[in-house]
Amino acid sequence: MATPAFLLSLQATSLAEFIRGDSARSAWAFPIVETAHVLALATVYGTIMMVDLRMLGLTSRQTRVSRLTDELLPWTWTAFVLAALSGSLLYMSKADTYWHNPQAQAKFICIALAGVNMFVYHFGVHRRVAEWDLSLPPPVAARLAGGLSIALWTAIVFLGRWIGFTT
Amino acid sequence: MFRATAEQIAASGLSNSLQNVLWVVPVSQSTHIVALSVLFASAMLINLRLLGVGARGRPVSQLAELLVPWMWRALVVLLLTGALQTLIEPVRQFITPIFWGKMALIVVLALLTRWFAATLRANAPQWDAAQTRPAIARVFAVVSTIGWVTVIAFGRLIGYVWAYYL
Repeated sequence: MATPAFLLSLQATSLAEFIRGDSARSAWAFPIVETAHVLALATVYGTIMMVDLRMLGLTSRQTRVSRLTDELLPWTWTAFVLAALSGSLLYMSKADTYWHNPQAQAKFICIALAGVNMFVYHFGVHRRVAEWDLSLPPPVAARLAGGLSIALWTAIVFLGRWIGFTT
Repeated sequence: MFRATAEQIAASGLSNSLQNVLWVVPVSQSTHIVALSVLFASAMLINLRLLGVGARGRPVSQLAELLVPWMWRALVVLLLTGALQTLIEPVRQFITPIFWGKMALIVVLALLTRWFAATLRANAPQWDAAQTRPAIARVFAVVSTIGWVTVIAFGRLIGYVWAYYL
């Protein structure tokens, strides 16, 4: 499938050119944005793992699930926005390459699936969290969501690192 | 001196046979990122609490009791995967000054974290209440945050700057 026109026009902007580091003036732009991306994704992955392991009933077993999600998810979302912004900058710098890269394609599919998983959990079993906040083991639906989330986010990290070896 | 040692390691049978298995470095690096995420997120949650940002939730002593053990576990995984990557690509690491800066920083931060965990355990009530928490707690939080961010940045940048030292 051909690269969408809007991605190609993004790639042609001076911002994309700056991040690509074509001129010596901005040779460090890509590594610096990438470092910001690593810091943001580390916060996303780390805080999501804490929630997921609790949903599986493996850690923080005496802490209410709702308390943990209240404490952690605002950080997850803040960091996710930063990861998405830095990731978009990296992507637009070589949009045509990434569009055709199988690892990048798989990564976006996994991010979409992680989003669906989160949506199903929040509008499903999490609505009744007060009923099972301290139950051990947590309900099957919660454990399933936690397990899927760990698998998907780990795959996202691996695929993201893998892109760097294939482009 | 470092370079000669690195070249010896690179020429060794173990390093050589691992160099030929293409997936080892990407898989090790990805595992390294997973582990650094656990360490970094834990450190940030503790430091932000010490600084009074996002003050909701449990006292800092409970938070540290829960998270510091995860930081040590993550550090073990980081040292193992890092050692594997250094075994496979020793020259790239040893000739790059920021690699040594990163190693030195990790030692300092590990000692600081040990000191912090022990001090917090001994003075939990005083450290838990924002009004009685000593000023050194904020200093620790700022140094630890800047320190881990620098470690991660150095780690990512080794891959870009090492060629300049060849």
